[in-house]
Amino acid sequence: MKNLISVANPIDNQLIKTRRLFTKITEHGDRPWNFLLISVSLLVIALIIGVVFLLWRDSALARTGLGWDFLKPISNASWNPVTGKMQAWPFIYGTLITSLIAIIIALPVSIGISIFLAELCPNWLRVPLGWMIELLAAIPSVVYGIWGIFVFLPQIITPLGNFLWITLGKIPVFQILFMGPIPQSGMSRLAAGIILSIMIIPTIAAVSRDVFLAIPKAQREASYALGSTQWETIWRVLIPYASSGILGASILGLGRALGETMAVTMVIGNSLEASSSLLRPGYSMASIIVNQFQDTVSSLHSNALIEIALILFFITLILNLVARLMVWQASKKFQKG
Amino acid sequence: MLKKLLNVVFVVLAGGLILSACQPAATPAPAAFTQAPTMEATLAPGSVQLVAQGATFPLPVYDVWTKSFQFVDPSVNITYAGTGSGAGKKAIVDGTVDFAGSDSVLKDEYSQVADLQMLPTLAGAVVPIFNLQSSEKDKDGKAITISELVLDRQTLADIFQAKITNWNDPAIAKLNPTAKLPEVGITVIHRADSSGTTEIFTNALASFSADWKDKVGAGSTVEWPVDKNGNGLGAKGNPGVSVAVQNTTNSIGYVELSYAVANKLAYAKLVNKVGKIVTANAASIQADMSDFANAFDAKLNAKIVDGGSEGSWPITGYTYLIVRMESMKDCLKARKTVEYIKWTLTDARATKIANDLGYASLPKSVYDLVMAKLNNLTCNGAVVSK
Repeated sequence: MKNLISVANPIDNQLIKTRRLFTKITEHGDRPWNFLLISVSLLVIALIIGVVFLLWRDSALARTGLGWDFLKPISNASWNPVTGKMQAWPFIYGTLITSLIAIIIALPVSIGISIFLAELCPNWLRVPLGWMIELLAAIPSVVYGIWGIFVFLPQIITPLGNFLWITLGKIPVFQILFMGPIPQSGMSRLAAGIILSIMIIPTIAAVSRDVFLAIPKAQREASYALGSTQWETIWRVLIPYASSGILGASILGLGRALGETMAVTMVIGNSLEASSSLLRPGYSMASIIVNQFQDTVSSLHSNALIEIALILFFITLILNLVARLMVWQASKKFQKG
Repeated sequence: MLKKLLNVVFVVLAGGLILSACQPAATPAPAAFTQAPTMEATLAPGSVQLVAQGATFPLPVYDVWTKSFQFVDPSVNITYAGTGSGAGKKAIVDGTVDFAGSDSVLKDEYSQVADLQMLPTLAGAVVPIFNLQSSEKDKDGKAITISELVLDRQTLADIFQAKITNWNDPAIAKLNPTAKLPEVGITVIHRADSSGTTEIFTNALASFSADWKDKVGAGSTVEWPVDKNGNGLGAKGNPGVSVAVQNTTNSIGYVELSYAVANKLAYAKLVNKVGKIVTANAASIQADMSDFANAFDAKLNAKIVDGGSEGSWPITGYTYLIVRMESMKDCLKARKTVEYIKWTLTDARATKIANDLGYASLPKSVYDLVMAKLNNLTCNGAVVSK
């Protein structure tokens, strides 16, 4: 072999020798490489199991001491760490309702943005607009909170809340959600829900736009060939095709909304008021943990907070599973039909 | 070959840039510290590293103190991290810091580490801030802001317990005869997060009203009756309470005095235990501290709310440093810790720094108690201070 490769240039000869040495060292490289990849993946799973285990272990006192009463959905729950009577329903309700408002507002807006960016946007606008939407995702949570309490809440949420109180709040059917005047500072579940929706719009919009761009051109062409207008194509062909991807994007957004801490804590009012209304101040699971964990009164108190973290983890897990099931069902139906 | 050489050069440059960024920035000496260091210079500069963490209430003062001490004794380098009283208490129990700062007193921690000692360093006041518009309008039809308010101890407790819910309640009107109080509900803004400020405030309310003590109690977090009543809001931190009060007309809240002064917030006067109307300032804090000079137990804790002399402000509290009296492992660090704390108490420049920032220093009797404790701190059986 060496005789065949006789080169006049000594540098090339050196390179060939080095390359041969490298090949020799790495020729059994597949196995350690696979091992490395598998162990990294298992590490991620181990981390999740570790987190759940720690949450479970460190909430033991609360789980045994407070029992199922902790989760009961009663309206005048109390949270008194000094006496030891603690119930978590106000926080669970707060997290769920604010995330629900966030996704109800963000989903149509995000789909609209992604359709515009993928289908209708003029070429010169496409990149700058997409970049600006992604910039929204880069704004830190605390900045949203500060902007909320100084600008957004007094100027927009308070008038909106007063309007909803005057109109929907007088109709008995809606009173469960729109009862009561909104505090003058604007701090309410509605404020938290709307700010959360602004925070998750870029996530859902960016992923949905990529989903729309990935739809094969053949689908659009076939639709136009059959005589549809642009809007008919979008509504009847593209959105159903992209529905599983959009659902996946919504899961991402919902996950962020459930766990969002700083922005929610600063605008939700942190009050244990016994009201289910969107216009009144409330509390969320992440807020109570961040507010009280540094300085707990007793180990029952800190265990109760960790139990709330465990509940939040399970809610996120269950919602994720349900959404994945829906995606799987939708894609099966689509493949059949 | 050239490519290899270039690669090596780039790596060396990058490494050099990264390492050079690791050097601490040189801070200029504060004005009072330009003379030569007064303590021993036989140790190499920066050779003793003291680590501390804890309360954020005295953080403005501790930041300046720890940097200034480096000019007094260059061998010592102190870092104080404002992580909160709870984290500070946990850290001194775990042994990860040399001393800790805390607004709230130790309780269960004594059973874990028996020789913990709390040392009061500064006192601060908590004031009720308000945003009130009178019921009469000026000639342009705009509402007039009420800038002065006098409250009673029982009235303040009743407002926060949701027993008094309207601003024109007879109890408030009696104390403010000339103010035209509006006929609206009071929005009460409290702290959402655990804090020493809340602990001082609720201790005061528990002393003002037996009903508050019975039904609500005192602590760094309590269940606020105004929440259940529907006129309460929780805000995060002193800035959160301040903004919420400023954005809500006809509201009341509570913040630390140094914060209210720095942000020019309107705060109420109180009628203290002996019936005198007092406003919160350095003199009234000092008067209140002197009232409780003999109230210290062996652990040097004292609740100094609701003082009994004429000029004392009733909502005051100490902030403490926590040290280990016997179990510090490094005796050089123990000696330097004692020297630092003694310096903060004795040096006139240190006192001036604290007073300029709005905090009150210890009265003589308390100072003597703290110095006596510091003189008894031992390491490996031997007393560390000279």
